[in-house]
Amino acid sequence: MSRIIVTSVLFIFFTISAISQNRVTVSGYLRDSQTGEDLIGANIAILETGSGTITNQYGFYSISLSPGFYTLIYSYIGFQSVSKPLNFIEDSEIDIELKESAQEIEEVVITAEASNSNITSLETGATKLQMKTIRKIPALLGEVDVIKAIQLLPGVQVTSEGSSGFSVRGGSPDQNLILLDEATVYNASHLLGFFSVFNNDAIKDVKLYKGDIPARSGGRLASLLDVRMKDGNNKEISGAGGIGTISSRLTLEGPLFSQKGSFLVAGRRTYADVFLPLARDTAIRDNALYFYDLNGKINYTLNENNRFYLSAYNGKDIFSNDFAGISFGNSTFTFRWNHLFSKKLFSNFTLINSSYYYNLGTPDDAVPRFTWLSKLTDYSVKADFIYYPLPEHTFRFGASSTYHIISPGEIITQNGEGDNDTTTYSPNYTLESGSYLSGESRFGKAFSVRYGLRYSQFDNIGEAVFYEYDNNYQVVDSTEYDKREIFNTYRGLEPRLAANFKINEANSIKFSYSRTIQYLQLASNSSAGTPLDIWFPASPNIKPQLSNQYSAGYFRNFLDNKLESSIEIYYKQMDQSIDFAEHAQLILNRYLEGEVRTGTATSAGAELFFRYSDKKFSGWLSYTYSRTIREIKDVNNGNPYSAPYDKPNDLAVVGSYDINDRVNVSANWIYSSGLPYTLPVGRYSIEGNILPVYIGRNEYRLPDYHRLDISVTIKDKTRPKRPWSSEWNFSVYNAYARKNVWTLNFLQDDENPNITYAEMTYLFSIIPAITYNFKF
Amino acid sequence: MKKVQLHTIGMLILLTGLFSCTEIIDIKLDSTYTRLVVYGVITTDSVQQEVQLTASTDYFYTENPPVVKGANVSVSFDNNTVFLEEDEENPGTYRFPDPIRGVTGITYTLNISGVDIDNDGTFELYDATTTMPQIESADSVVLQKFITPFFSGYNLALWSPEPTGRHWYNYKIFRNGEPVNKRLSDFRVQSDDFANDGYISGIPVGFLNDDNEDELLLPGDIVTLEINSITESYNKFIVQAQNEIFGNNPLFSGPPANVYTNLNNDALGIFTAYAIDRVSKIVPAPSFE
Repeated sequence: MSRIIVTSVLFIFFTISAISQNRVTVSGYLRDSQTGEDLIGANIAILETGSGTITNQYGFYSISLSPGFYTLIYSYIGFQSVSKPLNFIEDSEIDIELKESAQEIEEVVITAEASNSNITSLETGATKLQMKTIRKIPALLGEVDVIKAIQLLPGVQVTSEGSSGFSVRGGSPDQNLILLDEATVYNASHLLGFFSVFNNDAIKDVKLYKGDIPARSGGRLASLLDVRMKDGNNKEISGAGGIGTISSRLTLEGPLFSQKGSFLVAGRRTYADVFLPLARDTAIRDNALYFYDLNGKINYTLNENNRFYLSAYNGKDIFSNDFAGISFGNSTFTFRWNHLFSKKLFSNFTLINSSYYYNLGTPDDAVPRFTWLSKLTDYSVKADFIYYPLPEHTFRFGASSTYHIISPGEIITQNGEGDNDTTTYSPNYTLESGSYLSGESRFGKAFSVRYGLRYSQFDNIGEAVFYEYDNNYQVVDSTEYDKREIFNTYRGLEPRLAANFKINEANSIKFSYSRTIQYLQLASNSSAGTPLDIWFPASPNIKPQLSNQYSAGYFRNFLDNKLESSIEIYYKQMDQSIDFAEHAQLILNRYLEGEVRTGTATSAGAELFFRYSDKKFSGWLSYTYSRTIREIKDVNNGNPYSAPYDKPNDLAVVGSYDINDRVNVSANWIYSSGLPYTLPVGRYSIEGNILPVYIGRNEYRLPDYHRLDISVTIKDKTRPKRPWSSEWNFSVYNAYARKNVWTLNFLQDDENPNITYAEMTYLFSIIPAITYNFKF
Repeated sequence: MKKVQLHTIGMLILLTGLFSCTEIIDIKLDSTYTRLVVYGVITTDSVQQEVQLTASTDYFYTENPPVVKGANVSVSFDNNTVFLEEDEENPGTYRFPDPIRGVTGITYTLNISGVDIDNDGTFELYDATTTMPQIESADSVVLQKFITPFFSGYNLALWSPEPTGRHWYNYKIFRNGEPVNKRLSDFRVQSDDFANDGYISGIPVGFLNDDNEDELLLPGDIVTLEINSITESYNKFIVQAQNEIFGNNPLFSGPPANVYTNLNNDALGIFTAYAIDRVSKIVPAPSFE
């Protein structure tokens, strides 16, 4: 299959390149007229031919046609379309700025790139979210959150109440590749997962690929969440901010270098600890408890062929008192250079540094003192090319390489005499590389296809101590490798295919197949995960995880595209799927690989999606039926069992209604099957304690989950001369105070040790919140 | 150090506590067949070593565990076989006829017969094996006063040589001869991973909380640290049992699972040997320097 794809792509590539030689090329950028922000995924249609293209992640487009007169129609959801008659005589650059629609009609809930782009696009299982939409969704404590919005989409499930972790089509949370301006975010959670690291005001574009991950990305089995930061307003200084129940945020952006560039700075901080000094208990007063996010970005356009971007993110959680503390955080840094080799060949070169760390221990002056550090650092280089020979054909190719350094833990203890003792858990050094070639071709008006192949390679590099295990997972031998010595290599080919048969403008059928390989995974077997979980690589003991996914969908629009609907089915087979031994010790364990158990996992499901948008009302309904079953030797006696996030029924209803120009009411209702759970079926007693007897893993389920959230947004009266505007948002999370089971424990009574009882823990009863937002 | 680690994890759990509530709920649980439960210990103390036999029950059973009477219980070691005698006053408890001291390096094998736990008319056979671990004599235990804004008490720091190889310890504390940590859930197990060069140098091995009446130390009290050098399998049993006893937290806990056993034939529990050393300290009068 891989050979067929390569041969076909090269054949089409050279044939089309030859044809395109006599064409005239018009290229340029599409931008927001108010802010100068590039518009990603905007549509450019050629009226005369019926073909067209879309802008890439940098707002760039390129169209090559035979000489002649053509009319190009530039459109983007929420913006007024521009129709431009052009004489294609010679290559030229046409940059277009689109004005935001005065009407709010297009501010639909999840927006597509064109009114019927869900019908015409090649993507199955891909959804784009607009920030305006996300802002309307009622949020926990009023903190608008990208990831919480994604969890309302079909095929995406919350891993645990309130968590930022999500499971896509039966995958684990660590099988999602989360990119912020192309840098991997390893832990997207703040405050134990109740909030994500993404500050909505700094984000421009969010797209989730859950089936058909583009060949340019790899390294995770289940999904790609591509988050792009705003570039910054290059027309004028502007800003936005908000004062919320638990946090405040402020974003400033503006032009730089005589409008040849722009900047953006955004910050957010929670202030639960600001109220702690008011506490009577001195022990509580001295606690620190907060998180912050800082986003910064600068871009500079040198000339029409060269543009540079620098973006950075830094976020941190701090929780400490006089006795001990923990801090953890991500930071990412991306430098990008967009270069046009020609009007048909766009390129982007990227340098990335990304890291995640945590640090816990006693204060610096404590005796005895103890510090535990863990850090993961990535250094990446990437080159991506997009070649636009003809409007019907686009080719992409490129390569990337990432050097991962994972230091699972370094523990420094200092006793009362001032003697230091350091225990280091050997770092892992690995190199993950990939190259790809892919194309998108449209044949006639009805059939289009995307084909791609990714080659990935993973090297384990010294200095390292490698442990060998016997069949009982006991260490039998160890080998030491020198610095820079490559002691293990995995290679893999990952074909990706997608096809679209457009029956007419309102109906289409799509198919896709994708293979993905994952070389890094998270050592976590809890449902919500913790900041202390560490990533660990494939190695001679741990083979890479592999997934083959097949999906098909029928897409149908009604009421002149106001009502979109789709049904998608998928089947996913995963090999080398990872779970852990019973009672596994995953933290500070030199022999972590001895706790890993691998086998197969199978996930299959059907996803139903209805989305409606008109002038006053917009909303969607998503329903998923799916099952995910694992079968792993040495777990559950080798018998199949439900995967930890297997929730057969998952329903979300999301609605937003504009009562008038100033008042909006939004609500969402979520219903899902309870998480699989292991319940005791017997007990025995030893040394005064009662111990449970189980007969199988995940044999039972927690009670069903459901919840209603409501919010009302009231905007200030519009005053033409006032340079700023504001709104109040009132929200209620879990409006009917459903006690959803977060966990279930079986406990022994203190008074009568023969009595045992079940105790449920639930989070978040009804939670109201108020947020004041402003922009200028 | 483990304490700080646990405390930090405790803080994270506490943080979820800010948002969480608990409630006792009625839940119907399934039943399973009855299993034999064994708890047998051989120590280096000169005592009538004993083995207790009980039966498993439904989870919401409300009585003392049913004892298993009339079994044939024997322990073989060093080419000897000793048949244990059932205590008439405590049915289900089987003892060596005479006091005996376990010996380090010796392997003990438990055999149980004459039990028909599943009532199918056929007696089952059960066995398990354990080897007495090595131990060194401890040098001293130091009482370190420990004060935090949340609690205060005494840390017990141990100074002791250690036999070569990997070892596991269970620390029991006695105040004036009375055990402080009696239950499985109170046991404090530790591996020797943090002992360097065959010496345990001042590692905290226990904590006595001033707020707890049973743990509060006064000048003149005698604190005894009992060091149990335990087998890897007993360590595994205690750690896994404590995982189950302390309950499930979605942040930190893996899926619930049965606790390790070294018995065969579907029996539960543990048969183990551990070597004992003791070291004591008198609580000093407060210093006003």
